[in-house]
Amino acid sequence: MASKKSPSGHFSILYFAAASTFTGKATEHLPAPVKASELFARLEERYAGIKEKVLSSCAVTVNLEYIDVEGDEVADLDRVIEEGDEVAIIPPVSSG
Amino acid sequence: MSTTEPSTYTPDIPSDPITKTTDTVHVELTPHALDSLAATKFVRSPSAGATVLFIGTTRNSFANLPVSSLSYTSYAPLALSTLSQIATTILAKHECEKIWISHKLGECPIGEESIVIAVSSKHRQAAWRAGEEALEETKRRAEIWKLERFEGGEGVWRANRDGVMGVKIEEGKEEGTRGR
Repeated sequence: MASKKSPSGHFSILYFAAASTFTGKATEHLPAPVKASELFARLEERYAGIKEKVLSSCAVTVNLEYIDVEGDEVADLDRVIEEGDEVAIIPPVSSG
Repeated sequence: MSTTEPSTYTPDIPSDPITKTTDTVHVELTPHALDSLAATKFVRSPSAGATVLFIGTTRNSFANLPVSSLSYTSYAPLALSTLSQIATTILAKHECEKIWISHKLGECPIGEESIVIAVSSKHRQAAWRAGEEALEETKRRAEIWKLERFEGGEGVWRANRDGVMGVKIEEGKEEGTRGR
C-alpha cells in the first residue's frame, strides 16, 4: 500500500483487519500533532468502544516502526505524532 | 462491535507483486497464484545438497465450521520488511544458502497455496529447521491478516497468536465477539 499524503496539519492513519472493520475505513487523516500516548483516547472519541474491542489487542507503528503507546516504555512516552507521519493500527496478525 | 464494513469486505490489494530480492533472499507479497517451482529454482545452489519446500494451503474448515472463502490483506511495506528481516536472520542463524518466502494477498480459493517457503543448505538438517522457523516466525510476525468467511456469510478476522476465532464480522449486527 502506498503511503497516502496527508493534508497540512494532519497525519495519516491506516486501519487493518478488525480496526478497518470497526472504523469502516482503510485510512483517514487526523489532526497533528498528537502525543502518541493520547492516540487511543483520540480514536475512542471518534469511534466509541474501539479501545476495548479492538485497540487493546493492537500494536501501533509510526512511519513503519513499532512504538509503545501504552505502558511505561520510556522511549516512546513523550513521542509526538507529527504532521505527515504515517500511523498504522496493527491487530494480531494471521498469515500462513 | 459495530459493523460499518459489509461482510463483502474488499481489502486494498496491490495489483502487482511486491518483492524484495538479493542474491540469497527473496520475499514477495502477490495477488497472483504462488509459484513453488520458481521458489525452488531461486534457492538452487551448487553449494547446497538440500532444498526444503513448504507449501501452505487454505483449509476448508476452522474448528469444524465450513469455510467458504478466504482473503488476505497486508500492510505491504511493513510486511515486506518484516519478511526480509525474518529471512535474513534465519539464513545466517542456520547457515543456509538461499531462502524464499512468498505470501498470497487477496482472495485465496480453498485448497490453493497461501504461503510458499523454500530454503537450501549444504546438508538437509539445516534446511528443515530453517524452513520450519521461517514459517513460524512469519505466522507470528508478518503484518498480514486472514479473513475467513464461513458458509452462511459470516466473516472472521483470524489471529494466529491465540488460535481462536478472532473478531466476527456480521452485517447488520451491532455486537461481535472476540476470542469466541
